[in-house]
Amino acid sequence: MDTSRSTGRPWLSTAGALLIAALLHAPALALDAPKGPVILSVTGALTHPNDNGAASFDMALLATLPQRSFSTKTPWFPQPRKFTGVLVRDLLDAVGSKAGIARAIALNDYRADMPTDELIKNDAMIAYLLDDQPMPVREKGPLVIIFPFSDRPELRNAVHYSRAVWQLRSLELR
Amino acid sequence: MMRADGEADRGAQPQRVWLFAVIGVLALVVLAVAYVQWRQYKLLDTASHYQNDALGWSFSQLETEQLRLRSELQRYLADPQHQGADKVQLRYDIFVSRIGLVDHPRAAGIMQDQSAYQPAMAQVRAFIKQADIVLGQPPTEALNAVNGQQLMVQLEALNVPLHDLSLGASHLLYQRATERNAAVRQQSELGVALTVFQVVLLLVLAFIVLRQLRTLTERRRSLEALAESLGVARHDAEAANRAKSAFLANMSHEIRTPFHGMLGMMSLLQDSRLTPKQSVYLDTARESAHHLLAILNDILDISQLESGKLQVAPQTIDLMQLLNQVDALMRAQAMAKGLVLRIDVAPDVPRWVRADPTRVRQILFNLLSNALKFTSAGEVMLSVADGGAGRIDFKVIDSGVGMDDATQARLFQRFMQGDERPSRRTSGTGLGLQISRDLARLMGGDITVQSTLGRGSTFTVSLPLMSTSAPIQASDAGAATATTHTRPLRVLVAEDHAVNRAYLEAVLEKLGHHGVFVGDGHGAVLAVQTQPPDQAFDVVLMDLHMPDMDGFTAARTIREMPAPQGRVPIVALTADAFQASRELAREAGMEGFLTKPAHLPQLREALQRYGTGSASTLPEPVAPPAADAAATASMLDMATVNDVMQALTGPRYAELLGRFFDERATTVAALRQAVATASQAELRSRAHSLKGASASLGLRALSGAAQHLQTSVVGPHPDELEPLLDRLEEAFELSRAECRTTGLLAGTP
Repeated sequence: MDTSRSTGRPWLSTAGALLIAALLHAPALALDAPKGPVILSVTGALTHPNDNGAASFDMALLATLPQRSFSTKTPWFPQPRKFTGVLVRDLLDAVGSKAGIARAIALNDYRADMPTDELIKNDAMIAYLLDDQPMPVREKGPLVIIFPFSDRPELRNAVHYSRAVWQLRSLELR
Repeated sequence: MMRADGEADRGAQPQRVWLFAVIGVLALVVLAVAYVQWRQYKLLDTASHYQNDALGWSFSQLETEQLRLRSELQRYLADPQHQGADKVQLRYDIFVSRIGLVDHPRAAGIMQDQSAYQPAMAQVRAFIKQADIVLGQPPTEALNAVNGQQLMVQLEALNVPLHDLSLGASHLLYQRATERNAAVRQQSELGVALTVFQVVLLLVLAFIVLRQLRTLTERRRSLEALAESLGVARHDAEAANRAKSAFLANMSHEIRTPFHGMLGMMSLLQDSRLTPKQSVYLDTARESAHHLLAILNDILDISQLESGKLQVAPQTIDLMQLLNQVDALMRAQAMAKGLVLRIDVAPDVPRWVRADPTRVRQILFNLLSNALKFTSAGEVMLSVADGGAGRIDFKVIDSGVGMDDATQARLFQRFMQGDERPSRRTSGTGLGLQISRDLARLMGGDITVQSTLGRGSTFTVSLPLMSTSAPIQASDAGAATATTHTRPLRVLVAEDHAVNRAYLEAVLEKLGHHGVFVGDGHGAVLAVQTQPPDQAFDVVLMDLHMPDMDGFTAARTIREMPAPQGRVPIVALTADAFQASRELAREAGMEGFLTKPAHLPQLREALQRYGTGSASTLPEPVAPPAADAAATASMLDMATVNDVMQALTGPRYAELLGRFFDERATTVAALRQAVATASQAELRSRAHSLKGASASLGLRALSGAAQHLQTSVVGPHPDELEPLLDRLEEAFELSRAECRTTGLLAGTP
């Protein structure tokens, strides 16, 4: 009987796939140091720091992470707007964090604490392009935490609107 | 019941209206509740209200950012090296970014009651226009102590308006929240009220539905009860009807038994010495009794039909023989009224069919005697033809009084007679037609009638009589004689008429039996009494009507003798086929019954059965050849003639005929003598004797005339008998003439 051979193969291929995946993710293990002005500093519980125990990002470094974009209506603009940036999920992967809470701090010292699992689940994004244009501080930039409100009605409430932090400066992971 | 239903309907109408009304209102209430819910949902729609709620926060943040910009600018101006221009720039950018949140049309709409809003916003916009010169994107001139100081003045001028706006917005939002809460409460209250109303309506609906259901249940129950009581009533009625039918059947039967005794006694009385007057009385009594018996038979039939006891027993019969019998019986009646009776049989009518002969005969008798009864002149015809689809149609056509439609409609109803007048000329139970039709239907056929008032009637009996092949034994009478003949029998024949005696002698001889002949009852009794033991009679053929002592009396006398004389089988022989005669003969102790003319096969069978004690090998009576259409119109019954000739051979028949006709003058003279002397018994006896003799010889018309005379003895005045005698004499002559022309009788006129 050749059952042993045929049952052996999937195990082998699964193991191979895992190995390849690990190799592909290898560059993320080591974050490059920021070269330009730092626009986001991630501090706290993380395993891949690049700047004195913190993970600091300039625009170029953010652009190396997986890019995503979606359009959504927001309470702050009359029309739906297109947001482009990095999913919080990918950012957390990049910094190697399994933290439970992320505290977002804005330029005006606005703070909002949010559970990371909800951010991951709700596809929260740190956007740096609005309608493919960089956002100056005057236009609530340079970074904005945004949720896909249009796609997910359950997010259209005060809690999530309050988590959509503008002029994001830093994230504290705990 | 009908009125109760009507009330229920009238009651159900408003109830149904109420039901629909409640359901309609309930639907409206549900819609209203849904509308309230929707309104509440819109009220709580966070997306559209978040910004309004956040407006207070936005104003307060704007004020905060203004203060932070001010302190950063102060720090810059206080530093002689003018360091920190970039920090001022950042604070300024943040401040500007907050303005968009409060300076837009919706915010203006919310703040429209705040008179300070528009001037404050204009002031802010003016400040930004000024500040953008040094802090814009890009600045047109660099920030320095001078323009920084100017900005500072303008920025501080914003302190009071922004603070007022912040406070005003907060108050406004509190007010808005309060109003919204009030609205929500009001709508909740409305929702609760509507829900309560809904519950009430539901209860009303439930009540109506329950009442409806209860009404339905009650009605169903009452209907069930009604159906049950109707069923019981029907059952009772049926039981009562059955009991009545059974009672009727029993009573008719019970009445019949003593009746026969009575008839027997009257018959005995007739033989005793009576004055002519007594004789007339007795005859009247006998006629009445016979009529009564016929009625009883009708009632018995009808009750048996009704209770389903009467059953038809089909057997293979000779239809032609049956028709001959009917003809023989009816012809006399027709002649009595001076009517012509014609029987017309189509050539395609099968001779042998499966039928119950008794019942078919009964129906035909009934219809024919009706036709004769209601016809005073002209003819009555029985026409038999193939009705198609395996049916045979018997049409009884008369030229009588006829009937109108109304009479026809109730004709077949029980106890109805065509003529409803009190002074009707006819008598009867009125059951005859109903019995006939019931019998026809029992046989799978029917009776229909067509009639026009004054133009006669046609009754059509359509019966599904299956054509069948003739019984094997019937094919050759001669052969049958040889095979069934066992041993020569000693036969005692008591017969008063010489011609009949001669006929029977010839027949017995042909069958190989030995005959001993006596002329009356006394002779028969004496012969049986004195028979030598080694030459005992095997069977006695007893004519029922004989002078001095009739057959009944003789039979009874013989039966009173000790065995073996008292046990000799006696077969009655008579020209009348009345059921009553048959019953009387049985009561007198006679086993068999033969009607005259006694044809050879019947005689052979009767002798075989009663003389040898063996069972009959002939299940069916064997009939003479069918009478053809021409023969029916003649004076002769050719079937009988053929039969007799076959039995006796032609010359002997001719000899018998010759003797019979030679005596005609004597015979007629004797009859006239009897009429003249008003000797009714004598007349009847002679007429009867003549009837039997002429029937035996196949002289049908003469036999009919004799029977007519016999039955007319009672009643009519002697003068009225004269025409009958004339007709009889005429029949004599005509018959003789026909016998000569057909070659039956030799010699010259």
